[in-house]
Amino acid sequence: MDRAGPNGRPPARRREATDLYATVLEVVKRYHGHARVTRVSYGAGMPVDRLKRSLDRLVVLGLLRSEEQDGRPVYDITPRGQEFLDTYWRMRAYVELLGTDRESSARPPTA
Amino acid sequence: MSEQRVPRGSTVRLGAVAGDLRLEAKVRVEVDGRLVVAGDLRCDGDAEIGGPLECRNLRVEDGELTCQGDVTVQEELEAHDGSVEVRGGLSARSIDVDRRLSVTGAIRSREVEVGGTLDGQSTLEAERVSVGGRFQLVGKLTARSVETGGRMEVGAVELDRLEAGGSAQVNGGTIRESIEVGGRFRSTAPLTFGSLTVGGLADLAAGSKGGDVEVGGRFGADGDLTFGQLEVGGLGAIGGNAAGRAVEVGGRLEVQGALRLEGRAEVGGSIVVGDALEGAELEVGGRFEAKRAILSGDAEVGGAVATLLGLKAARIRLGRKSRASGPLVGGEVEIGPKARVEDLYGTSVRLGDQAEARRIHAGSVRLGDASSAEEVVYSVTIEVGADARVKAGPRKVERLDPFPL
Repeated sequence: MDRAGPNGRPPARRREATDLYATVLEVVKRYHGHARVTRVSYGAGMPVDRLKRSLDRLVVLGLLRSEEQDGRPVYDITPRGQEFLDTYWRMRAYVELLGTDRESSARPPTA
Repeated sequence: MSEQRVPRGSTVRLGAVAGDLRLEAKVRVEVDGRLVVAGDLRCDGDAEIGGPLECRNLRVEDGELTCQGDVTVQEELEAHDGSVEVRGGLSARSIDVDRRLSVTGAIRSREVEVGGTLDGQSTLEAERVSVGGRFQLVGKLTARSVETGGRMEVGAVELDRLEAGGSAQVNGGTIRESIEVGGRFRSTAPLTFGSLTVGGLADLAAGSKGGDVEVGGRFGADGDLTFGQLEVGGLGAIGGNAAGRAVEVGGRLEVQGALRLEGRAEVGGSIVVGDALEGAELEVGGRFEAKRAILSGDAEVGGAVATLLGLKAARIRLGRKSRASGPLVGGEVEIGPKARVEDLYGTSVRLGDQAEARRIHAGSVRLGDASSAEEVVYSVTIEVGADARVKAGPRKVERLDPFPL
């Protein structure tokens, strides 16, 4: 079965919850403790109501911390959040590598 | 300062405005040559300006401003809950756009901050660039620091620092200090860099040069590469010659040309070097292949060694049941039990129990129990274990012939 998508690349993987959390964390990280909900929503490409639920969840898990600035909540990534990102990106790479290896394992080994 | 106000939904023709200008939603301004606002321009909602614009401050509230020409803002451009599209060049002291900034000409500013997407069809010069989401730039990017939360794809770069959350692609250039990318980094032309840290995958064009490289998943270089310390979690592939301080790879490393290291190469799985490996130390969990390898210190291989011309090191240790093709030249050579090797040369050679060798030339030789060799030539001592066999019988000589390599 041909698994390639447009341009010969593998078809795009459906974004899962962990992908969305990682995206949110990466955007929050760019604001160095001053990430406002609207800004994060534009960066992550998520509607504000859905984003708020994700932010709440990430705060509960200790991956983000929140505080009030000028009467509005702002967010910052925690060391635990950074740990999540490091693991997430490394794991994503391995998932991709293992997929590639599975395809290349059909080829005869070189001398 | 006086304020001129343009009501919602109207179309006006303007040239010079002495004070501030306020455009309500859905306004179109036709321009006599150039719209020059001596004070501030504020847009409350969508607006279109049909020519070049010059003003002191520009603020867009909850809408999209489109300008059909160059935009020059003496102080700040700010779009709150808004977007700005410039069909020309853009210059401002600082730029802060919540949603989207799209510019067809060159962008110049001290600071550029965009919450959503920055799309530039030409060049960008700034001290600091921060984009929450996606950053695309066709031309050259010149800045001290660049940060993006999502995907970034730009032309040539001249930066001090780059940080990208998702992926980043640059078309070569210089990043003097550090590159930190969460997911994937790629340079499509030679890049000079201080350090490169990538969580997932990284690919560099041939001729790239830099300091330390740390990649979580896979690292690739299209051709020759110079680096400091190369640390790769999974796979590394270099399509030319490589030179650096040290290498640490969790899985597999392939170098098509020669690999020259000042220090140690440590590979969990396998390492394949198309030409020669030169370095201080080598530790390989699995298989090592090279045309030739010269090490000033130790070489320790768990699985197999395959060389065309040989491996030379101060001390060579091969693991239990290991395999070697091509000569191994010490110093000290120690072959694990049940290993199978070809020719061994050294000041001392120890062949493990039940191990097999073709030829041994050494000062001192120890043959393990039930080991075997076709030929053993020694100059100092020999120790033979129980049931060890030498096909041609051990032969003592005054002086050994010169070793290979």
